[in-house]
Amino acid sequence: MAVDITLLFRASVKTVKTRNKALGVAVGGGVDGSRDELFRRSPRPKGDFSSRAREVISHIGKLRDFLLEHRKDYINAYSYVMSEYGRMTDTERDQIDQDAQTFMRTCSEAIQQLRTQAHKEIHSQQVKEHRGVVLDFIEDYLKRVCKLYSEQRAIRVKRVVDKKRLSKLEPEPSTKTRESTSSEKVSRNPSEDSEEKPVTEEHPEKVPAESQPELGTWGDGKGDDELSPEEIQMFEQENQRLIGEMNSLFDEVRQIEGRVVEISRLQEIFTEKVLQQEAEIDSIHQLVVGATENIKEGNEDIREVSTLGPPGPPQCGTESRQQRSSCWQGGTSALLWPSPQGSPPDGAGQSHFDPRQTPDPRCYQEP
Amino acid sequence: MAAAAAASIRERQTVALKRMLNFNVPHVKNSTGEPVWKVLIYDRFGQDIISPLLSVKELRDMGITLHLLLHSDRDPIPDVPAVYFVMPTEENIDRMCQDLRNQLYESYYLNFISAISRSKLEDIANAALAASAVTQVAKVFDQYLNFITLEDDMFVLCNQNKELVSYRAINRPDITDTEMETVMDTIVDSLFCFFVTLGAVPIIRCSRGTAAEMVAVKLDKKLRENLRDARNSLFTGDTLGAGQFSFQRPLLVLVDRNIDLATPLHHTWTYQALVHDVLDFHLNRVNLEESSGVENSPAGARPKRKNKKSYDLTPVDKFWQKHKGSPFPEVAESVQQELESYRAQEDEVKRLKSIMGLEGEDEGAISMLSDNTAKLTSAVSSLPELLEKKRLIDLHTNVATAVLEHIKARKLDVYFEYEEKIMSKTTLDKSLLDIISDPDAGTPEDKMRLFLIYYISAQQAPSEADLEQYKKALTDAGCNLNPLQYIKQWKAFAKMASAPASYGNTTTKPMGLLSRVMNTGSQFVMEGVKNLVLKQQNLPVTRILDNLMEMKSNPETDDYRYFDPKMLRGNDSSVPRNKNPFQEAIVFVVGGGNYIEYQNLVDYIKGKQGKHILYGCSELFNATQFIKQVKCTLLVS
Repeated sequence: MAVDITLLFRASVKTVKTRNKALGVAVGGGVDGSRDELFRRSPRPKGDFSSRAREVISHIGKLRDFLLEHRKDYINAYSYVMSEYGRMTDTERDQIDQDAQTFMRTCSEAIQQLRTQAHKEIHSQQVKEHRGVVLDFIEDYLKRVCKLYSEQRAIRVKRVVDKKRLSKLEPEPSTKTRESTSSEKVSRNPSEDSEEKPVTEEHPEKVPAESQPELGTWGDGKGDDELSPEEIQMFEQENQRLIGEMNSLFDEVRQIEGRVVEISRLQEIFTEKVLQQEAEIDSIHQLVVGATENIKEGNEDIREVSTLGPPGPPQCGTESRQQRSSCWQGGTSALLWPSPQGSPPDGAGQSHFDPRQTPDPRCYQEP
Repeated sequence: MAAAAAASIRERQTVALKRMLNFNVPHVKNSTGEPVWKVLIYDRFGQDIISPLLSVKELRDMGITLHLLLHSDRDPIPDVPAVYFVMPTEENIDRMCQDLRNQLYESYYLNFISAISRSKLEDIANAALAASAVTQVAKVFDQYLNFITLEDDMFVLCNQNKELVSYRAINRPDITDTEMETVMDTIVDSLFCFFVTLGAVPIIRCSRGTAAEMVAVKLDKKLRENLRDARNSLFTGDTLGAGQFSFQRPLLVLVDRNIDLATPLHHTWTYQALVHDVLDFHLNRVNLEESSGVENSPAGARPKRKNKKSYDLTPVDKFWQKHKGSPFPEVAESVQQELESYRAQEDEVKRLKSIMGLEGEDEGAISMLSDNTAKLTSAVSSLPELLEKKRLIDLHTNVATAVLEHIKARKLDVYFEYEEKIMSKTTLDKSLLDIISDPDAGTPEDKMRLFLIYYISAQQAPSEADLEQYKKALTDAGCNLNPLQYIKQWKAFAKMASAPASYGNTTTKPMGLLSRVMNTGSQFVMEGVKNLVLKQQNLPVTRILDNLMEMKSNPETDDYRYFDPKMLRGNDSSVPRNKNPFQEAIVFVVGGGNYIEYQNLVDYIKGKQGKHILYGCSELFNATQFIKQVKCTLLVS
């Protein structure tokens, strides 16, 4: 167990002070000393970086507090039993979403700015590393707060989806054919315009009520013919078939929804990974381009050397090579013209003599 | 429950470190907490303590942006609090005072690995005053963490100044009293820190007439003084923390290395001990040299470079935790199995990929999607796990291959079997002279080790003629005979002091040359290597522990001294007042220990439900290092 000896330390400070006083040693001790401390501390360069970093942190903190504060309302107000509009309308929720998003964007931009600035400033390696890590911490904090937001949002979206599902398909397999078909029609209409109004519950009740008179009119419209037992049976069967179809459709839609949710999750993971790898892929691209350039040059050099035949007495290596290569260039330029592709020789000396073949897309583009 | 209270020492030390890093306030995880950042400054002691316990990532999670050595060039980083974790030595204090004067950081949290003296504290106070930085020194703590924990149940005293407390330091003939005092004080200080962290006051038992006895006396005194001092006692209930007291006190058995010199020389067959014996392994990090592949380097090109790779063997590595005590062939098999299961999982993921590819062309393949999305999600989310698994498999493949190469080159299996037979006094099928003169079996050092073990465990010393023969054979093989001199002296002394230690009965059954490993055509081709199966035997240290823990009566341990720091009057008797067997014990070897003993203790306690053992030693050495020390010990005299 660790032992806190801070008090002991303070006591030692006092002891040393009194001892120094007794010995008459001039030290920055006593009352003046503490004031001195304050004075000495204030003109110390209060790191610009750290004050701004702390600003960003406090902003993110405000966002977090804001989200947490309204979180209950955001989620809770979905219950149907509350007053018609709940405590938060959808527009308000959209507003929150938008605000949060812009806020997050500005925060991440601020972090980026700090980063570039930290890079530009001239400081020791240690300070640079330290600042880099501090910025990583802040980014991580921002990510965590964003998670709060995206969780909320996901819950909201899920509820909307659930509601749509409920309002579209009536889980009443016992109604008769006409009822079910008409109820479908009826319910489809209201669901399209009722996004958030918690009145869909009333529809199921209304629908059977509506369809009863309809049924009555239909029945009346048919005339006095009693439906023969065969017809009744036929209708029954059709009923059952349609019910079965509806149910299976219903199940399928449910499954698809589940899969869509999973796909969205996958997409999230993929986007994250792709973003992470973006920087690496860029650098790989750069390296590959550089490598192809180097290989091209290397091949040229090899070509020059190989066509020169056995080397003469060793001279200043590069100069002689350059002389020879210029002769070669002049000598073979004539050869470059009658190339079957008819392509004019470009500066890099590319022709079909070139041992390096394929990776150059330009070769293919000239038919 | 008493068993739960024997919380792993590793956990306790980690918790203490994390608290220290959190500005000495208990650490609570908060997912939406604001980031705080700080800089960690340590000396080499601090580094050795922290590195087996916390990885760089964990340090980052605690908010540490930079971790720097105290005695390095450090630039001022304003507005950052700095946490120091150093030993209170003169140089360290001077450097800290310099930091204060140069105003490198915004605030200072000073933590001393072991307790700082009053005068040094005043030195810091002086410097702080001179620099007008007194308010900047936010907290000063004595951490009492002066020991290095390597495993859940194993610790060593130190790594940096091991020469101070090495076997040689304690046993060399020309040591003066004052030097001995210093060494003992160092050891006792660390042990005291250990018990403070463990939060328990042990009952101490030690053998008479050894360095262990000196340590026991001093430790008892120190604990006693601390308990008496009611104001500053470190062992009162509230400092132990909630739910961390055990109903029973642990037993501390202090033994001296000299009771058993054969074990440090022994060739071994379990994974962790082999890695320590054969490769460069310390503080849970193994350093391998790999040759960079078979390349036909054309003339004039640069010579083949050897890559150095180092691996950390951590508690997170499940394979290591499971197999560090297993015999080597088992390890090889398990690596194979892991590799196969990894490949199966990889194929599963690839199959999904191809199914997905198909799906794009065939519109009517919605049915194929049936639960593939779910599979895909689980596959994608399990990818990081899979990658981690691969990394571990690669790690262990490399390590095990390196060990296997050594085994094959030096025929370590032969040595192991032979030594086991010697130590258990079963009949030997090959003569010792044959093995020593065999040019391909082992390095000269291996032969020396074998001979020394033979010499140590022989009931009677071999005749002069035999000895001469052996000596000649050894010299022909290229061995240095100095260690033999030392062992002779030791044996003479040991015979006087007590009966020679016996190693119990054991047999090793060679399981034949064909093993499953070979049949599956794995890369661990162990042809020619015997697949030996270890049978449990108790090394001397384990036996002593068994006697003391179970309160068995045995002439070897009956006259061990008994100390109880909690008792009012210093008790010099050997009669233990407590007659019940102990549930927890700590074995500490003064003069050095090794993984073979550790593994033996672990195996011993596995069979006993609800009992826990911690193993500690003043330093950890393998046979090579031990022989080096023994050689030097002689040269001095």
